[in-house]
Amino acid sequence: MLIERYKLKLNRYTSLSKVGVLAFLFSLTIGLSAWTYYEDPIPTGSFQLVYPANFGNRINVPADNPTTKQGVYLGRLLFYETALSAGNKLSCSSCHRQEKAFTDGKALSEGVDHVLSTRNSMSLANLLWTRKFFWDGRAASLEEQAATPLSNPHEMGQSLTISAQKLSRIQSYPALFKLVYGDTLINGDRIVKAIAQFERTLISANSRYDQYLRNAYQPNELEQKGMALFNQFPQPEKGIRGANCAHCHGGAKTYMELFHNNGLDSIPKDEGIETLTGLPADRGRFKVPTLRNIALTAPYMHDGRFKTMEEVIDHYSDHIKQSASLSSFLQGESNEIGGTSLKLLPEEKKELIAFLNMLTDSTFISNPAFSNPRLRIASNK
Amino acid sequence: MKKISLITALAFLSLLPLLTIAQSQQAAVKITGEVATPLTINNEDLQKFNQTTVVRKDRDGKDHTYSGVPVADLLQKAGVTMGPELKGENLTKYLLVDASDGYQVTFALAELDKSYTDRVIILANQVDGKPLLPADGPFRIIVQDEKKPARCIKQVVSFKIAFAK
Repeated sequence: MLIERYKLKLNRYTSLSKVGVLAFLFSLTIGLSAWTYYEDPIPTGSFQLVYPANFGNRINVPADNPTTKQGVYLGRLLFYETALSAGNKLSCSSCHRQEKAFTDGKALSEGVDHVLSTRNSMSLANLLWTRKFFWDGRAASLEEQAATPLSNPHEMGQSLTISAQKLSRIQSYPALFKLVYGDTLINGDRIVKAIAQFERTLISANSRYDQYLRNAYQPNELEQKGMALFNQFPQPEKGIRGANCAHCHGGAKTYMELFHNNGLDSIPKDEGIETLTGLPADRGRFKVPTLRNIALTAPYMHDGRFKTMEEVIDHYSDHIKQSASLSSFLQGESNEIGGTSLKLLPEEKKELIAFLNMLTDSTFISNPAFSNPRLRIASNK
Repeated sequence: MKKISLITALAFLSLLPLLTIAQSQQAAVKITGEVATPLTINNEDLQKFNQTTVVRKDRDGKDHTYSGVPVADLLQKAGVTMGPELKGENLTKYLLVDASDGYQVTFALAELDKSYTDRVIILANQVDGKPLLPADGPFRIIVQDEKKPARCIKQVVSFKIAFAK
């Protein structure tokens, strides 16, 4: 019975024309679904940067590079574009990986020439509020910052002029640059502007600490004790214990744009800001980085010398190195009368770590809007 | 004896280039923004102004005597609208003080002007007759009688005058 019905069906569809129609419909369906995926209209218009009120509005967007949806779209492509490096192997994302809050997990990073960078790859989060970039604060805008790793021979190693020429030869880019800038011209200025636009959208505002600040999370006892230590400066003569982290890492963003000598070395190998200013008071002075996602951004310090948060806390607790340029707030700051470093107890260190873990924003590191757009296409194929 | 003095002299001579390098960069305070004449004031320049002192407690809980120059005098020299000119829209101007560690504080111009207040705010370069320590100086703002020390900003590098927008 079954076989007979099958034969009948087969007979019905033996006509060539009907097979043709089916094949056409099939390919049309597949074709259209692929087309709608790849040719999603690129969003255009002003980009709304959304952030909590307690981050404040002291944001840094240059007048000549307003954030647009199409600019962010292009910037994201460029952030993950290996054609921007000599040898086409590295992109910005090589040293700024989303799953590590846009760091690379290495003390120093290898460039196209296999030479290591001189300083640790910095986390990219809430750059919208940053006014001085790099460990020494020497760049005044993200645009200016982006140009350096792109062309530094020990990083991506390719001049912006060559990058522009290479992009001009990749089919999709001239039209995208036209959409963003009004014409198909591709140059270094336009490349860094688009990358900067994308980077400004990397807003992290949903850690458990953010949730706590908007009354949506109740910290456990360990976290509460850690938070209290974090915010309190030590006054041993009054019996008040503290770690005073908030002096430099305070506020909702845990970033205050300060530059300090934090007692890593008495005679630093890397002289930090002194290299720029020639002033001995700037010796060993570096940016105080954001603590946002700190649990994801090891190793720590400008040279990546500390592998764990425990080592960092041990440094402030027990190993501050004295020097003339040691920042004043670290001089004689201690939980012991006459002490030269914080002298925290083992349980206090654990409490601080519990609080620091509250600063991890898992929605930030999994936000599809920040991921490699090409990987997304590949995984959907 | 001769040998020793010769060695000392040689050692001194070999240090000379280092000394000149050290002296080539000198800390100074830049005054810019809504000014008639942008100025850069170093320690030597500061001596040319009338000196004044302010006594206030430091973190050690003890009184210290800070000496320096009223900020208003420095601004006047740069042609900021102080004194009789500090009225009308000029009252929406403020001073933004920058420190080399990135710390910043502001003062409304009227907070600095002696026709508005007797409280003195100085740019100090000495404490108890000695130059400020490197981590505090060479220039520090001292605000007379202010309860919290947070605006006594250390390591001052610039003054910017601007209109509130």
